[in-house]
Amino acid sequence: MMISRRSLETATALLTGAFGAAVVVSSIGNGIGWSASGVDAGTFPFIVGLIILSGSIFNLVQGWLEAGDILLRPSELKRLAILFIPAAVYVGVIPLIGMYLASAAYVFGALAWHKRGSFVFAGIAAIGTALALYVIFERMFQISLPRGLLGDFGF
Amino acid sequence: MENLEALLHGFTIALSGDHIFLMLIGVLLGILVGVLPGLGAPNGVSLLLPLTFGMQPVSAIILLSCMYWGALFGGSVTSILFNIPGEPSSVATTFDGYPMARDGRPTTALATAFGSAAFGALAGVVLITLSASWVAKVALAFGPPEYFAVYFVAFASFVGMGGSPPIKTLVSLAIGFALAAVGIDTVSGSVRLTMGIDELVKGVSFVVAVMGLFGIGELLIAVEDEFHLKAISSKVEWREVFRTLFGLPRYGWVLLRSAAIGCWMGITPGGPTAASFMSYGIAKRFSSRRANFGKGEPEGIIAPETADHAAGTSALLPMLSLGIPGSATAAVMMGGLMIWGLNPGPMLFIEQKDFVWGLIASMYLGNVVAVILVLLTVPIFAALMRVPFFIIAPLIVIICTVGAYSVSNSYLDVVLMMGFGILGYLFKKLHYPLAPLVLATVIGDKAEDAFRQSMLMSRGSLGIFFSNTLVTTLVFLGVALLVLPVIWQALGKMLARSPIRP
Repeated sequence: MMISRRSLETATALLTGAFGAAVVVSSIGNGIGWSASGVDAGTFPFIVGLIILSGSIFNLVQGWLEAGDILLRPSELKRLAILFIPAAVYVGVIPLIGMYLASAAYVFGALAWHKRGSFVFAGIAAIGTALALYVIFERMFQISLPRGLLGDFGF
Repeated sequence: MENLEALLHGFTIALSGDHIFLMLIGVLLGILVGVLPGLGAPNGVSLLLPLTFGMQPVSAIILLSCMYWGALFGGSVTSILFNIPGEPSSVATTFDGYPMARDGRPTTALATAFGSAAFGALAGVVLITLSASWVAKVALAFGPPEYFAVYFVAFASFVGMGGSPPIKTLVSLAIGFALAAVGIDTVSGSVRLTMGIDELVKGVSFVVAVMGLFGIGELLIAVEDEFHLKAISSKVEWREVFRTLFGLPRYGWVLLRSAAIGCWMGITPGGPTAASFMSYGIAKRFSSRRANFGKGEPEGIIAPETADHAAGTSALLPMLSLGIPGSATAAVMMGGLMIWGLNPGPMLFIEQKDFVWGLIASMYLGNVVAVILVLLTVPIFAALMRVPFFIIAPLIVIICTVGAYSVSNSYLDVVLMMGFGILGYLFKKLHYPLAPLVLATVIGDKAEDAFRQSMLMSRGSLGIFFSNTLVTTLVFLGVALLVLPVIWQALGKMLARSPIRP
């Protein structure tokens, strides 16, 4: 699979345009213009939203007119996926198994999977990561990180 | 002269074994919170506050202010090495600091940053020493229109720079403003742009956006080209640290100008973040090596770092002399002052001479301690750059995740952070500039509030922005910064064309 500059430009412009439209719609409810209490709360976001929306339409057309050179080749896409998918899974499982287990598993997986990695090193790094998080956040700065399942077992 | 005498008296208070020890502890803890994104100087200072209740006020403020210096220095470390700003005010340092470190010169980048930061801090303290009593008058003249004009100058000095496609710059800036508006509107109290998600009432934290845009976004860009997969094999050399430091005077003009911008922004409560952006923007505009900016230009590190520290230091001045905290950290410290039984304000300088001048003297010493400690740790931090990418990548993801979570103990922030990561990747890939977005996210709501308050004062007339000399000068300065590059460009084209004609 290859991705061209044209499709990436289009996708980004659609994304920012949708955000702009949402800002415009949402700020209408806050009131636009001048009232007894001065400039209404929605005025400023409304103008900003319009700027985002019209700018995105401009970028959309501009991006569509641009030459369709290839921006992402299959090898690059693969490397992106290898980094992003585990990271997304890591963030996704935090509510289930907690920050400590998820971080340890993520570090273990990333290091053990790599061709230069070893299981022993990966294991030490995983435990080290969890411990470091615990000491710095829970102990030193008294910020409790989500524990997920660990919390259920009374940790 | 009176001030100098008082300062000497202050040194006799600050230079005791106990106080030097407190400085060391404060600076070390400060560097730690500065390096960790999500945790910042406000967190560190609030956590230490309870420990200070039993102390002498002078000792307590020395501990807390040294922690602040440490955090300011530490914030630059992660900006330069990982492109993750540890503190809002060190965002502008990433623009040139990170490219320089990535090109195999982490030691030079860190030494340049710390050297110019030290100069900025020194400029700030000297300013406090000389003008402590005079400044109260200037800051009192600041109302909403003047605040807005200062923010306008900050935007103007940064936005009109060009280089990126203008419409993309505009979209990026506007998205930043929209993000800043999410949550409770401070003027009317109504809830804005939450899109039906109740938790968004607290707003989109700047830290969350920055960690996603810069940390995760940069990681995705980096993984694409194989470049990062090989470890950077630069050796850390002490000689390089000193050579960089001794080479700094060559940039004397940039240092002086940035320090002046920083001091001005610190006293008028524009704050360190706006100061560093503005200083970077102005340096880029007037530099003869403009094309090098963003690719590891030393001036691009010197300008924001000097201004950041000059502003951070001189921001304590309005807190002490007026009781107006210029930043979150200063607000927490001011809470401390009141708990210790002191009243910030003009009377402090008359009633609590020992405290005020002990603090000012400790600023000189504390910054020296901070520079020494942080320079000693340069080799350790620079060695981090040599850790292979496959180990550093998951660690950066974890640091960003935990950092985003710790901002307000919210999982939603973590999800938002990942979203910003994808946005940062797309923007970077397609040459949308990220800096305007970040700047607008940080000071957008303040600028909006100031504008609306001014409108309330003037009953809707824009004339209030020309009502006195101070505000008019600021507005014209901003307009000039926006318009001048366009005129220069046009002039340049005309001059380039004229010799061709017979």
